Amino acid sequence: MRRYLLPLALIAVFATMAIFPGLIAPFTPTERFTTYQAPDKVHIFGTDDMGRDILSLVIYATRLSLFIGFASGAVAIVIGTVIGLVAGWRTDILDDLLMGATDIVLILPKIPLVIILAAYLSPGPWLLILVLGLLSWESVARVVRSKVMQVRSADFVLAARCLGFSDTYIIFREILPVVFPVVVPKFVLVTASAMISEASLSFLGLSDPTVISWGVMISDAFNHGGFIRKMWYWWMPPALCIILGVLAITSLAFLHERGAREVVQL
Amino acid sequence: MNEILRRKIIRYAASLLVIVLVVFMFPRIMPGNPVMFLIGEDVIVTPEVLADLNTRLGLDRPIPEQFYLFLRGVCTGDLGYSYHLHSPVASLIGDRVVWTLMLVGTSLLIGYAAGILSGAWVGWMSDRKSAKALTGAGICISCIPPYLLGLILFSVFVYRLNWFPYKGLYTTPDIWSIMHHLALPVATLALFVFARNLLIMRGSVLTEKNQLYPQFARALGVPGSKILYGHVMRNAILPILTQFAIDFGFIFSGALFIEIIFSLNGLGTLMYDAIIIRDYPVLSGLFLVIAVMAVLANMFADILYGVIDPRVGREGI
Repeated sequence: MRRYLLPLALIAVFATMAIFPGLIAPFTPTERFTTYQAPDKVHIFGTDDMGRDILSLVIYATRLSLFIGFASGAVAIVIGTVIGLVAGWRTDILDDLLMGATDIVLILPKIPLVIILAAYLSPGPWLLILVLGLLSWESVARVVRSKVMQVRSADFVLAARCLGFSDTYIIFREILPVVFPVVVPKFVLVTASAMISEASLSFLGLSDPTVISWGVMISDAFNHGGFIRKMWYWWMPPALCIILGVLAITSLAFLHERGAREVVQL
Repeated sequence: MNEILRRKIIRYAASLLVIVLVVFMFPRIMPGNPVMFLIGEDVIVTPEVLADLNTRLGLDRPIPEQFYLFLRGVCTGDLGYSYHLHSPVASLIGDRVVWTLMLVGTSLLIGYAAGILSGAWVGWMSDRKSAKALTGAGICISCIPPYLLGLILFSVFVYRLNWFPYKGLYTTPDIWSIMHHLALPVATLALFVFARNLLIMRGSVLTEKNQLYPQFARALGVPGSKILYGHVMRNAILPILTQFAIDFGFIFSGALFIEIIFSLNGLGTLMYDAIIIRDYPVLSGLFLVIAVMAVLANMFADILYGVIDPRVGREGI
């Protein structure tokens, strides 16, 4: 139990930052000061090119970065679980079709596809969630399907069928609970990878420029002189937040060694 | 075997179709004038030129005919024309793809070799402190987005220590200069590939280790390294191949980001410039090329799988 402590504590910190940014942040993202200030007592990480306090920006950015990650994870999990359940339960042409679709989504290079979509649509956060979610369900579907195929002819399922329950009832009441333990680590991993994708897309300038996320901050630092001025305290805090956030979320899945192995290999 | 082969071929054909459809449909179904999407947003043209372009790009014809013309163009290597850079997209990509492939190829080679060998060792000796440390490092690195890893290495080794040049592929076109410029980008990408493969290989060896055959070999007195590298690794390597197909797109896009960070004149910087000015023909062309490469990588992995694991062909798993 003790090894869950650190990741959970980290997630709790990030969650607090996301829910109550106003309580922790010394300033709001709209307050302006002298630009390009070095760190001092008032501005712990200095100020950026528009004179905003970097520490406050990092705290306010938490909400969007986490929200996009978890929401796309949720979209992907719902789609993947439903498709996996149906494909594993049915053995006819439907299974073939669904698995074919899964394989195609698996082959398509995800980030270039999101990039071209985002370039056409200039997306806000909601669109990004939808696109990232719609492109990352394939691994979930595969894991769920293989698990369903394992338990499909188990005694308790046969019993339910003999009792005359409908397919829908059996899938959701009998099989879903068995599948659930593999879905949870998968959800965590999809969330982490969605956070990485979001950070990468924002770095390319493909997210809504009016909202702040960690990726947007790094992109600002990269494009607006953070590197030439050697302002490591500008891009390092958001970068560390991304890394620690992804690490904390992923390690929840990895700590459960058996689950992790199933998840990594499929 | 034939059944599997047929199924695979159908899937690859379907993927290619989806890729081509994406590139074909996007400019035509997005809200706005499709001409603007096909020439790029920043180009300012008069209505007459617009009408002329409309005919020349074939946008006044029925959709099926447009699709036929588009397919014919793609098959003959015509990926459209960039009105920003005044050059056919195919030649823009052709000029730079070599550098990107060099970056990806070298990193894949180093990353896979190192990742597989040390992953096998880490899995075999999983109780040792050093193995645990290496696993931890692997998890950490695989959680860092590749471009962030590039940024960190860039700021440390280029800005702080000045060990490597700031930008570009070479100052004088000889092999040493190129190696000096490419060293850090390759190291970044290789580190990333290494970390992923280390974790996969470790998990795979951990599962194989408890099978009967390694224990039998040990009972016969076969030395540990020979069991690991001669027997266990051949079986444990299969998940790496499965994963390669999935990872290829990810690694390739990682390379694009790393090129942007290090200002290497490859596909990544081409893409970055195209995103900023919304040069849609270049973006579509890039997506098409990368996606087709991903499909080819998948085919390659499938074939290799059959070579390494003869059971696939024989029993039809």
